[in-house]
Amino acid sequence: MHQENMKAWVVPSLVLASIWVKWAVGLGSYSGQGTPPMFGDYEAQRHWMELTIHLPTRQWYTYDLQYWGLDYPPLTAYVSWLCGIVGSWVDPLWFALDDSRGIETSGSKVFMRATVLFFDTLVYVPALVMFARVWQGTRSSRTQNLALALLLLQPALILIDFGHFQYNSVMLGFTLFAMNFFATGHDLFGAVCFVLSLGFKQMALYYAPAIGTYLLAKCVYLGPSAGSKLFIRLAIITILSFLALFLPFLPPFAPLSAILDPITRIFPFNRGLFEDKVANFWCATNVVLKWKLWAPQGALIKLSTALTAFGFFPAVATLLFSGYKLRVQPATGDEKSTSFLPKQTPILPLLPYALLTSSLSFFLFSFQVHEKTILVPLLPMTLLLSGSSPEEVTFELGMLMNNVAVFSMWPLLKRDDLGVQYIALLVLWNRLLGYNPFRTSRRSYIRLLSLVVYTAAFVLHLAELLISPPTRLPDIFPVLNVLISTPVFVLVWLWSIKRAIEVSWALGGLGSRSKVTQKPVSNSSTATKLHRFPVEGGADGKAHGSTSDIGLPRASGMRTMSLGFAQGRRRTIPRSGSVDIN
Amino acid sequence: MSQTHLSPTAPRPNLSLATGEKGTHTLPDSIPEESAAATKGPEDAAPAKKTGRFSWLKLDMTRTEWDILIGSTCLKLLLFPAYRSTDFEVHRNWLAITHSLPISKWYYDTTSEWTLDYPPFFAYFEKLLSIPAYFVDPRIVDLNNLNYGAWSVVAYQRATVVVTELVLGAAVLRFIRGAENPAMQRIISASLFLHPGFLIVDHIHFQYNGFMFGILLWSLLMARNDRKLASGFLFAVLLNFKHIYLYLAPAYFVYLLRSYCVSPTYTLLPARFLSLANAVILTFLASLGPFLLMGQLPQLLSRLFPFTRGLNHAYWAPNFWALVTAADRVLLKVVSRGQLGGLSINESGVASTSRGLVGDTVFAVLPTVKPIHTFAITVAFQTIYMGKLWTNTSYKSFVTALTLCGFTSYMFGWHVHEKAILLVLVPLSLLAAESNAYFRTFEIASIAGIYSLFPLLFTPAETVVKIVYSALWVLFVLRPIHRQVYQFPRTVTFVVIDFLERLYLAGFPLLQIFVTLFPLFARRRGAANGSVSEHSDGEESGTSPLEFLPLMVTSVYCAVGLVWAFIRLSVIYLARKD
Repeated sequence: MHQENMKAWVVPSLVLASIWVKWAVGLGSYSGQGTPPMFGDYEAQRHWMELTIHLPTRQWYTYDLQYWGLDYPPLTAYVSWLCGIVGSWVDPLWFALDDSRGIETSGSKVFMRATVLFFDTLVYVPALVMFARVWQGTRSSRTQNLALALLLLQPALILIDFGHFQYNSVMLGFTLFAMNFFATGHDLFGAVCFVLSLGFKQMALYYAPAIGTYLLAKCVYLGPSAGSKLFIRLAIITILSFLALFLPFLPPFAPLSAILDPITRIFPFNRGLFEDKVANFWCATNVVLKWKLWAPQGALIKLSTALTAFGFFPAVATLLFSGYKLRVQPATGDEKSTSFLPKQTPILPLLPYALLTSSLSFFLFSFQVHEKTILVPLLPMTLLLSGSSPEEVTFELGMLMNNVAVFSMWPLLKRDDLGVQYIALLVLWNRLLGYNPFRTSRRSYIRLLSLVVYTAAFVLHLAELLISPPTRLPDIFPVLNVLISTPVFVLVWLWSIKRAIEVSWALGGLGSRSKVTQKPVSNSSTATKLHRFPVEGGADGKAHGSTSDIGLPRASGMRTMSLGFAQGRRRTIPRSGSVDIN
Repeated sequence: MSQTHLSPTAPRPNLSLATGEKGTHTLPDSIPEESAAATKGPEDAAPAKKTGRFSWLKLDMTRTEWDILIGSTCLKLLLFPAYRSTDFEVHRNWLAITHSLPISKWYYDTTSEWTLDYPPFFAYFEKLLSIPAYFVDPRIVDLNNLNYGAWSVVAYQRATVVVTELVLGAAVLRFIRGAENPAMQRIISASLFLHPGFLIVDHIHFQYNGFMFGILLWSLLMARNDRKLASGFLFAVLLNFKHIYLYLAPAYFVYLLRSYCVSPTYTLLPARFLSLANAVILTFLASLGPFLLMGQLPQLLSRLFPFTRGLNHAYWAPNFWALVTAADRVLLKVVSRGQLGGLSINESGVASTSRGLVGDTVFAVLPTVKPIHTFAITVAFQTIYMGKLWTNTSYKSFVTALTLCGFTSYMFGWHVHEKAILLVLVPLSLLAAESNAYFRTFEIASIAGIYSLFPLLFTPAETVVKIVYSALWVLFVLRPIHRQVYQFPRTVTFVVIDFLERLYLAGFPLLQIFVTLFPLFARRRGAANGSVSEHSDGEESGTSPLEFLPLMVTSVYCAVGLVWAFIRLSVIYLARKD
């Protein structure tokens, strides 16, 4: 596979293979198939295509709200409109207003599946390819391709998008693009991409504290003059993008009050604390404390907001602290470093951890969370996983969280009749990474914990297969599922905070090297490593301009180290299924 | 791949999830074939191999081989909900027949229109499968539960295909051990196990070809390892599973007779002859014996060989007759314009060829073909190859002759189904890395042959599956072999041929684009026409030829390639000097 002439084919064939897998998953059933009168998420998405092509924009957020009224931000509506137009060209019956409700012809199913595949391939796949190149540019192309394969075949996202039916990959893809652009120093592009992500699905708000703080920290890092310039630019571009997204609902195209329709639909505060069984703090503690009886709705909302803010505070703090600590100081630095403003900031390595902390705190503590939402925190964790080597904690935790995330969605997948796909994708992905959940050879706490969790999950599956739940406790299996999954997510949340503090500390130590030479934190080891990085960075040369001298290789070195590069770079990672001729 | 915890020699991963367990537990399913060969043929000609006979039980699979097995099994699991043809119901009905009826009624039952028309070993095989089926869901084996499509029966039958295909996996695995060129054989073995033909025909369309080609490959492996008695025995077993392999029988007959029963100096070796004859006769007795005793042989044979079908199948299998049929259609157009007055038009043929329906194909212009003609042509061609095989009984010569035997039957046979191309592609794969000439033949035949299977899956959802999978297969199988064996053509003629062949292969993407887009535009145009002029007979004659146009084009385009591959292989074989 990795012979000379094949190299150009590796990425296209990886993408092609992932397309095959995604489409094959799509052969199965979708949410709400054959369950009138309301059906499921599939019908919701299809219904939006139907209503957007037949109704004027003003009515999009008000039309027959009882039947899957549109409750996603406008970009979803525009995309639905586009899909509806194309679909109606092929067959107008698929999207006839009101008459097409619950349509389940094989043709319309193929079309709907094709739209998911199309937007996934248009947004998410290029974002992943760019991620592998930008964030892991200093690594061998073989390792990059492995990381890409890992990301392309992530089972949780494939099961939800192509099995259950949703367009999460578009939202995640835009956020990933934002990360990539931040890494290449194009902060304004990044901000626009993140606004697009928010405009596609409000779930991207889970990332907002991290992204916002990162940009703020970068402004702080750049110092008063350059920083405030960047801040103003970012503010203007963000506001303009939002205005552009909501343009049809704003004057002069609509009365000012019209903007309230989408807003109230997008943020429904009138639902309960949680609906289904979700592996988060509220649902897990509900076993002991009956929150809904114990406190009124308003107090719960306040409590959950406070807890969420508390949850992502460490991410915000570490980012801002590092940005402040490492800020460019025009007075002390030599002329070169002031005139030359590095495109990449040293705080970039903190970004994935901040995203993880922030999104997990929302998942665990916020209001009205759905089990599919685990996809949002799963993205930064999987990105970190893709940069780690099998000996690291990151790898173990990343695999654990991914597998448990899929497991936590089992009740949903079971309802959708996606059991076979669930097994097949999990086995395929774990095998691809050379990960055996039940291997016990290595003695580490995380390994031991994983073993316990996997065994519990396995036993639960077995029990569900063999025993029918007692009538007194009809929800016993989903509740047990929540109780198994939640601790893992809490653990990952705590770990992400710990890692962010470690990385921040390491950065701070290095950043103030001119003044404080003896920092206690692993300075010697990182410093020796850093001597090697400029060579790597220079040889790579792609992401950095030729003018880069001291600042850039350092940044790239820190960046890759944070992704587990430093620990793992000397080892070949034997987790591919490919024939290695060399 | 040298790290400790993942190296091939490290403790084998403790596979615990469903697929892994399936892999480890069911591989021994292939034992019956091999151990049967060992026990029923006590006069085994190769006693030296005895020590190694059960060595493969240790499952000495490398990590990559495990990867392929587990990975492909996962992919096949994903295809469980895919489209399935009526063959699925056919096999379900056979499960029901063999489970709920006594053996004396198996070949008489007509509850379903899908009567049992495979030889007895396959019926026994279905009987075996019906036992667990009953425990999975008793309704699967209910004879009157026609067109049962619950998830239980889908999952069960699909799973049996995946599991029985391990016979194929085991056979191709054994081919690697002791191969002349293990690196190439590894690619070829993987290519066979992951062949798009099996994916399309077995895992989507639904049949058990992987299992039966596994037996064929096992038989060929025995031939390669110079265990000819076992080879002949396994082929006899195979014939009693599915009689389509009769197409290959002449090659086996000549090969075993010449190389096993007759000494190089043309003296008959009676002991060998008798042992082979006994093995074959005993196999047939085991299969047909019960029906012979019950006096049902004529009924059984009438089920196996129904001579009531037409020359072409619904969709013309891309063989010689497809080209002839196409030529007839072109001539019809010419003649009906009055440009060739000398020829007369057969009126019944005008209607016949315009449709792609099952039934007698009657040519409008060309002389009509009768079964006896196709039989005569097939035998004539096969005789030529058998003559060559008689003078050269090396293993490679045998495999080539075998391929040509299947190819001839495919090219000129009566009512050939497009699935029969697997009879050509599977043995031909074993020769792919021989030389550039063989490889190019393999390349053309594989691409055209696999493409010709595409119309089996006409549903749009499976279109992506078949195209992407085949494209990846072509990329990862053909390119490595191509790099190994490619030689630049020496003479101008060969340069031209090489160029034309490349041009032909490059046409397949264009053909696919045409086939995909044509119905879309035809339907829109048809809808537009229909709304303007609403006379009904215009619709009848106007849309039906158009409807079949993509199929006909596919058939003819593939036929060109397959006929050329057939000619190539014939020339290569007859010009062989070794």
